[in-house]
Amino acid sequence: MGEHSKAEWNLLLPVLAMISFPGIRMAMGFEAIESAFLIVAVPLFIFPAILIIGQMNKGEDWWKNQLKEGGIVALAGLMITLALTVWLIIEFLVHHAEYGAQGTILDWIHFEVLEANGEWATSTLSFGLWIDSVSLTVLFVAAFLCFLICWFAIGYMTTDHQNEDRNHRFFAEFILFSMGMFGMVLADSFLWLFIFWEIMGLCSYLLIGFYWEKPSAAAAAKKAFLTTRVGDVFLMVGLFMLYDLYHSLEFAVIFGDPTLGGTIQGADLQWPLIMMFIGCVGKSAQFPLHVWLPDAMEGPTPVSALIHAATMVNAGLYLVARMFPIFSEASFEGALSDVAMLIAWVGGITAFMAAFIAFVANDIKRVLAYSTMSQLAYIFTGLGAACWLANEGYEKYALFAFGAALFHLFNHAMAKAMLFMSSGSVIHEMHHAHEHAHGDGDEGDHHHFDPQDMRNMGGLASKMPVTSTAMMLGSMSIIGIPLIGGFWSKEGIVGQAWNVYLKGGEMILFPAILVLATAGMTGFYMSRMWFMTFAGKPKSDVVEHVHEETQWIKTPLITLSIVTAFSGFLLACGHFVYWLSDPASSKGSHFMTDLLKHPVDAILYELEHAFLPEDNTLKIVGWTAILLSAGLGPFIAARMHGGHLAEGERATPLTSWLIRYSGSVGHTEVGELAEGGFAIALHNRLYIDDAYEWLISKTLLPLAKISAWIDKNWVDGIIKGIERGSQWMSTYVRQYTSGRASDYLLMTAIGMLIFVGVLWGVI
Amino acid sequence: MIEPTWVAGLGAFLFCIGLVGVFTRKNAIIVLMCIEIMLNAVNLNFVAGAMHYNNIDGWVFTSVAIAIAAAEVAVGLAIFLALYSKRGTISLDEVTLLKH
Repeated sequence: MGEHSKAEWNLLLPVLAMISFPGIRMAMGFEAIESAFLIVAVPLFIFPAILIIGQMNKGEDWWKNQLKEGGIVALAGLMITLALTVWLIIEFLVHHAEYGAQGTILDWIHFEVLEANGEWATSTLSFGLWIDSVSLTVLFVAAFLCFLICWFAIGYMTTDHQNEDRNHRFFAEFILFSMGMFGMVLADSFLWLFIFWEIMGLCSYLLIGFYWEKPSAAAAAKKAFLTTRVGDVFLMVGLFMLYDLYHSLEFAVIFGDPTLGGTIQGADLQWPLIMMFIGCVGKSAQFPLHVWLPDAMEGPTPVSALIHAATMVNAGLYLVARMFPIFSEASFEGALSDVAMLIAWVGGITAFMAAFIAFVANDIKRVLAYSTMSQLAYIFTGLGAACWLANEGYEKYALFAFGAALFHLFNHAMAKAMLFMSSGSVIHEMHHAHEHAHGDGDEGDHHHFDPQDMRNMGGLASKMPVTSTAMMLGSMSIIGIPLIGGFWSKEGIVGQAWNVYLKGGEMILFPAILVLATAGMTGFYMSRMWFMTFAGKPKSDVVEHVHEETQWIKTPLITLSIVTAFSGFLLACGHFVYWLSDPASSKGSHFMTDLLKHPVDAILYELEHAFLPEDNTLKIVGWTAILLSAGLGPFIAARMHGGHLAEGERATPLTSWLIRYSGSVGHTEVGELAEGGFAIALHNRLYIDDAYEWLISKTLLPLAKISAWIDKNWVDGIIKGIERGSQWMSTYVRQYTSGRASDYLLMTAIGMLIFVGVLWGVI
Repeated sequence: MIEPTWVAGLGAFLFCIGLVGVFTRKNAIIVLMCIEIMLNAVNLNFVAGAMHYNNIDGWVFTSVAIAIAAAEVAVGLAIFLALYSKRGTISLDEVTLLKH
């Protein structure tokens, strides 16, 4: 009991900070928008504080046990940002303010630019905020999830003795990462967006490599950093091209008038947009720059949740969503539809490929990693479809596809954060249970046992009721089981991708078929993961020792379960999609009042129109997607991997129906299939990583060797020659240093005389 | 009235005396004295210039230089005192630390 009340006392600090900080701002008469910059500023100041205080007070009781090595401080900061975000959203909704560009907060750099006509023009780089429904949605996702993941991380990180005395580094990097995401979402120019984007890139490197002493973690960190760097170079080129066109990177200038007074043609923008899109591909781990994401699993599980749900991968989607106004500019009609098609193609290919690889992954976190790739690819397909429709002049459908894609971002982020936390909970407990069962000293065995391997699990539903329920809801949301989470947005994306085809974009047929097929595949691999982990008989003796987690880990899971289960439905009824699709207007609010007046009508309207569009062909597509994802996929998975629990074990009522179902549909033996050549290719991730390695060893490494040789023999040679020459000369000079002051004075006098003589022209 | 030329000439003469003393003498105090002679020779040059151009700047420079010179001598003598208490000599021939 004493232990318990102590933990509660810890929580008082963040709660107090959360209530008092915005409260004081409010009492001082500030508006939410004037306090919005604090969303970035607070984490920015907390980051060095945790790092420095943590380094100085390592191991002290008050730091380690009361403040959880900085975790409580980070949590306080994230609660403040969450409170500010919610305040901002409420004010945005209540006042329907034409927020848009919020003006300049601070001027940063002034510089002169040589114009084409030979004159110098002054240019200013300033920092401001850009707030609309899109940035608020992504900001809320980031703030809410960062807060919950931080909470989870306190429970996950501080109970593992291998992290002892270095958790302050984790929490400091964690909060810097969050700061990067908040800043990127709020930035009002592409320049600041890029700066915060890079801060995130750096933090992902640091966090993935948190266990730097493990060679695989260090390699994964390097891989993530370098792969995203490839995309970032393209993004930078894209931004340069954009600056060349607009002479500014401010959203207000570019989106205010994408034609810049009629001087810019749609065709000019093709390459900048493609370049920027490649940057997004790198950040959001799409084909062909996806290779870093599965390896990023080497980081601690909270980091996986942070990267995959709350922050990093959403950055690329956010940037594509930011480009949307350019596509919908009326005078660019038809000129940019190829770019939109490219976005949809990349999305379609990635969705299908990642889902296929997830079929055979046995590492619970890797299944989730590939599922992230696949779901992000859905969003890309949706955005591609939206951009195409906008560019071809089908504004109504375009806005719908855009809203659906961003809605999917929301649903996916919530569900995926929860799935990662659940998987973290499972891994954590498997790890501890294994140590408990086999002891710490048994090193040889320790290396063979992988707590992340699903082939060691099975039957965990009775041991971990909260985790299994959370994971079930998260999987349902990802699969798109009707009425839960992702269903409300996935249908929209698939439907609109097909709608593009019906409206004349024949090129999209391939990605449209792929995303439809992927809907079913998602149903399979997510169910497979759940059944392998939680249903059936235990596959190793470790399972016997597993028990449920601490409060620190359970509470975020329960919170997110509720959010995932109901938010999709409620937001859909609140016409979230329409609110998202038209950032400038305040449509969302009066739809919300509709719902309150005629709830049944509004829900029926939502069901009929929003997700099963009126066209008959699209209806077929929508029903096929539901049938594949909710029916066929889980059914096959249940046949292959499901089964009743062991005798005497009982799951909670919430999950037991699923286990009964999985045990009653019969069983298919798949051992033969898993040995096949295609399965092996999938295990090796379709050899894409190997292909990159081969390519680099054939091109980059010889080049590097040549330049190393040049560096050693030419560049260093010149430097060393200078060094040797001056050494040789100094042996002569040295003879004149007697150390006697009068000699030096004499030399000074002679030198002075020569100098004066030269000046006068005597010598 | 003395001609500025004579004053400048006296300055040049004193400067040469000081220069030779600095180069030839070993005793640090005498070298310091020679430096002072050179300094005052320069002061005389200033005076000569001021007389010639009928300009007050030269006089001002001279009075400032005298004040600075006094401070400089104080510092110099303090250094020699410290040197003597540390090494027991103020002969410049024996103080060749600069070589190292």
